Amino acid sequence: MNIVVCIKQVPDEPTIRIDRQRMTIIREGVKSIINPLDYVALEASLALRSRQGGEVTVLTMGPPQSEEALREAMAIGADRAILLTHPAFAGADTLATSHVLASAISKLEPFPDLVLCGMQTIDSDTGHVGPQIAEELGIPQVCGVNEIILEEDFLMVKRLSDGFLETLHVDLPALLAVTHELSSVRHLPFGALEVAFSEREVTQWGLEDLNLREEEVGFRGSATQVWKLQSPPPRREGDLVTGSPQTLVDHLIRKLEALSILDEEDGHE
Amino acid sequence: MGTNNALNGVWVFGDYRNYFQNRVTLQLIAKGKELAEKRNTKVTALLLGEQVQQYAMEYVAHGADVVIAAEHPDLKEYQVEAYCALVAQWVEAFQPEVFLAGATSFGREFFPRLAKRLGTGLSADCVALEVDPKTGLLLQTTPAFGGELLAEVVTPNHRPQMATVHPGVFQERPHNPEAVGRILYPDFNVLPQSRVRLIRSRRQQIRKVNLEEAPVVIVGGRGLGSKAQFERLFELAQLLEGEVGATRPVIRAGWAEEDRLLGQTGKSVKPKLLISIGTSGALQYTTGIQGAEIIIAINRDPHAPIFRMADLGLAGDASAILPLLLEALRKRI
Amino acid sequence: MIKFTESKISAHHNYLVNDLLTPGFVVGDPNSSDAFYFWADLVLPGESTPHISARIMDEKGDLLLELNGSQMGENPGKCDYHPLQGGFKIFRRPNEPLLEVLTQNFPRGHMTRIKARLFDEKGDLRVEPLGESIQVHGEAKLVLDAPFTPSAR
Repeated sequence: MNIVVCIKQVPDEPTIRIDRQRMTIIREGVKSIINPLDYVALEASLALRSRQGGEVTVLTMGPPQSEEALREAMAIGADRAILLTHPAFAGADTLATSHVLASAISKLEPFPDLVLCGMQTIDSDTGHVGPQIAEELGIPQVCGVNEIILEEDFLMVKRLSDGFLETLHVDLPALLAVTHELSSVRHLPFGALEVAFSEREVTQWGLEDLNLREEEVGFRGSATQVWKLQSPPPRREGDLVTGSPQTLVDHLIRKLEALSILDEEDGHE
Repeated sequence: MGTNNALNGVWVFGDYRNYFQNRVTLQLIAKGKELAEKRNTKVTALLLGEQVQQYAMEYVAHGADVVIAAEHPDLKEYQVEAYCALVAQWVEAFQPEVFLAGATSFGREFFPRLAKRLGTGLSADCVALEVDPKTGLLLQTTPAFGGELLAEVVTPNHRPQMATVHPGVFQERPHNPEAVGRILYPDFNVLPQSRVRLIRSRRQQIRKVNLEEAPVVIVGGRGLGSKAQFERLFELAQLLEGEVGATRPVIRAGWAEEDRLLGQTGKSVKPKLLISIGTSGALQYTTGIQGAEIIIAINRDPHAPIFRMADLGLAGDASAILPLLLEALRKRI
Repeated sequence: MIKFTESKISAHHNYLVNDLLTPGFVVGDPNSSDAFYFWADLVLPGESTPHISARIMDEKGDLLLELNGSQMGENPGKCDYHPLQGGFKIFRRPNEPLLEVLTQNFPRGHMTRIKARLFDEKGDLRVEPLGESIQVHGEAKLVLDAPFTPSAR
């Protein structure tokens, strides 16, 4: 079974800091990781490969440093890595991003049986890219997958959707967007990271390799534009109290009394 | 103003599953009406399924001017590809300028595929929607950078301008039994067999975590530091007769089950009192709690965004505050 | 271009006819003195039972029954009226159903399904079953905008 896993390199959550003057991310000191749910997708692809054989290809669209994420993916076990990078790819919304990724997947010989990706990324969180890749490739999709069961030439998958636990039959080829329940711990083989960074090869494809024009990708190929970035306005005009823990607790108790959650004297509400 | 004029206005996808808990379509119809009035047009709600008549009536009662309905036994289950095929046809025929859907699980996988099919832009989980007075464009406000900032997004050159919105962001209009609307039944073909077929579906057990009805909700974030600290919140909730909720990082860390998740991909609550402890205040979380009457926040960092959402903020260490708070409450209750 | 059928829909109550919802409809001419008609009138907020009036014939064109506001009037066909939970059913002798009117209550609205097989004074079939409801033929106004006011008879 040939599997493609789409991954994204994202800033590690606790290290994100915003320059509220210039409305940008402060890039210094930010650690980059593989998006956690894409990591889950990668693990799932390797588990499927160990049962069915085949090849796992990881794909990412990003600036040149995204190559680190691909090398890490290879250290974990991916057979092949492709970096989609070109200055024209920058500033893309999900429409343009999915176009580049789908174009790359279409170029693969043979066409994959399965495309996996994480449900959403920790930085942009829309969850749109998976379904949009599936639409462009003309393959069915299931999002929110937390279990995959391999059958002869189709898959059974499970997922939770709006309070319903669903079991679905999916024809292949298909795209699955996975959630963290699919995860299992996979340890990096000793020395694999070193090998991945020194000896393995990462294929690089740009605009011409994908036969795309500048108008179709990046900022120019996007339908949405960001007009303004701002800090969320304060939604409430509350007091901010500082002091010792006991002071804070006293303040809180008085507030609970004021709300009639507690009685002013002793006793149950 | 001919027949078709009204149909090229604001469209709302009818997401009627879980109807009485999920009010998002009604909320979007209300907001849609406001947007439509500014654009001098009408609101159309779309319904696909089997036996959807009662929803058509509800949508009209809550403000839809027009309903487009496709009823067929094969449409009974929600399904992405078949719905995409039909809705794309209607969008191409009637050319709406705005198309909204709730950011339910289904909306979040259906709407992007539809937007791609139509080659148009889609913004996710909008927290505000307005019409720009100068350009007439739909201003779509969404969380950015992991929820730390708000981005105002527009779709200048493509139509429709599509957006998903989380339940609870907008308010529905009251039910009006005197309302009358138009209903259109488009001709459509019997659909080809779906490549994704529902084999089994059962309701997730509603365990005792009933966050939506709890008068008091205590929410723990990753700032609590450990599962043991998080678990102290259960006693606090019990003392205040409330329920415990959690943020996505807490669920990911395995300190609490998904059932307790609050926010964009979890539940929205409107309790009388919400105490948010060790949460930084990312938008993906706060959209789930903004309806609370009173919010009290506890966080070590006085600059944490959560304090901009709180009626009372306590800047301090939760691990020191919690034991003192529990002791004080045990004496009182 | 897309082909579609259009109707109106009331927030409060609708009938199901020809596979579409409508606040009220009329088949034939209620103003006539002896011709067939079937009239399902608007149900206004505050009411929950439909008002059905009709003059129904048999296959030969002979008068079977008149209904006024869902109540039996002239009944030369000796039909039986049975009240039902949420509506009523009328049988032609011997034991042949003629007309069934059932109102389904939603949490905040109502929908009436009608089952019938009705002929007019010429012996033509004007109303017949279609799935859950009925299909009407011949002269009909499928959407009433306001409670129908017949002229004085």
